[in-house]
Amino acid sequence: MSRKRRRSIFELMREYMEDFEAAAEEMAELAVAERPSWDVRSSCLEPLCNIFVTTDEVVVTADMPYTEPENVKVKAISEDRLEIGAKMRQKVRFDDFGITHREGEFSSFRCQVHVPVPVNMERMKVYFKRGILEIHLPRSRGYEIKVE
Amino acid sequence: MSCVLSKPVGIVEKKLVPSEAIILQGLPDVGLVGLIAASHIISQLKLTEIAYVESDLLPPVVVLHEGFPHAPLRIFGNSELIVTISETAIPAKAIQPIMRALVDWGQSKKMRLMVSIGGMPVPDRQDIKDPQVFGAASTLSLLNTLSAKGVKILKEGYMVGPYALIMRYCAERNLPAIALLAQSFYNYPDPEAAAAALKELTKITELKVEVSKLLEKGEEIRLRARDVMKRTQRELTQMKKSQEYDLPLYV
Repeated sequence: MSRKRRRSIFELMREYMEDFEAAAEEMAELAVAERPSWDVRSSCLEPLCNIFVTTDEVVVTADMPYTEPENVKVKAISEDRLEIGAKMRQKVRFDDFGITHREGEFSSFRCQVHVPVPVNMERMKVYFKRGILEIHLPRSRGYEIKVE
Repeated sequence: MSCVLSKPVGIVEKKLVPSEAIILQGLPDVGLVGLIAASHIISQLKLTEIAYVESDLLPPVVVLHEGFPHAPLRIFGNSELIVTISETAIPAKAIQPIMRALVDWGQSKKMRLMVSIGGMPVPDRQDIKDPQVFGAASTLSLLNTLSAKGVKILKEGYMVGPYALIMRYCAERNLPAIALLAQSFYNYPDPEAAAAALKELTKITELKVEVSKLLEKGEEIRLRARDVMKRTQRELTQMKKSQEYDLPLYV
């Protein structure tokens, strides 16, 4: 039992390290966040995203106006990273926003999302509700420790 | 041009400002509900710019319209209605002095009613077809009026942000103020919530606002408002807006 306890402490430390790494990664993302929400070269807009972490799952959502559910693609690109893409129903130009000093048009949404806790990507479920993409990722389960 | 100074914030009047008007606050907050609602009212009622907010606490930002620079926090109006709107996120640290200045200014103009339109974040917003609207008031008589008009009252809990301060400052001075908060997304622009709040507003006041065009333009608004929403979200985090989810402790 004591061996189990020691392992659980190491496990805990590993989790702390993961949290720390995730926080550092978030800070790094924040540092590069001062970039436009659009990319003319790839004709992509970055959607607004949100991540909720509950006891059982991680729920990632993204706001995707001008999008139909059949044109949305969600891909797990690693154990802790998702790629979201969607072709828009219509192209949007800078001119549509009254901006005449830039040129470019956008036809899709694209972003990558870092999942902050271990999840089971294979059991991912994806929904599209009222223009909002909703991705459910069940959290990974470790071993259970018996309460003495 | 006159300026009511409530340092470190000044309100610069460009045109004659009506007395005893309804003042509507549409400041960036969750779901940009107030901002979207105020923007819709300004465009539908063709309100003109009558004043703007000057403060060193605001970021060094100007907004260009038709090639001319404007202050991001501006006040529009006609003879009966005044609408405050901010086209940029207000820094969390600037919210207290700016809200105090807006209430001071409203008081000096003998405002009939100050209305704050905002959102009430709900985690499952995408599952809600018709957002509910809740009301709060600065006086007992206004609270009774809201109830009599069928508005659900916010009885217990926390309010955080611009409208929270407006309600508190008005209650302290016994000034008439209400807040109409529609269930909304936290960090996605929510035109449907703005439309729901405006519908409630027309029940309470004599203002006539048509929301069908607002709903029709919903997708366009969501796309255009992404950047303001993103910057507003950072300020919401700073002001600990998520405390609105908390259960209050009363002893």
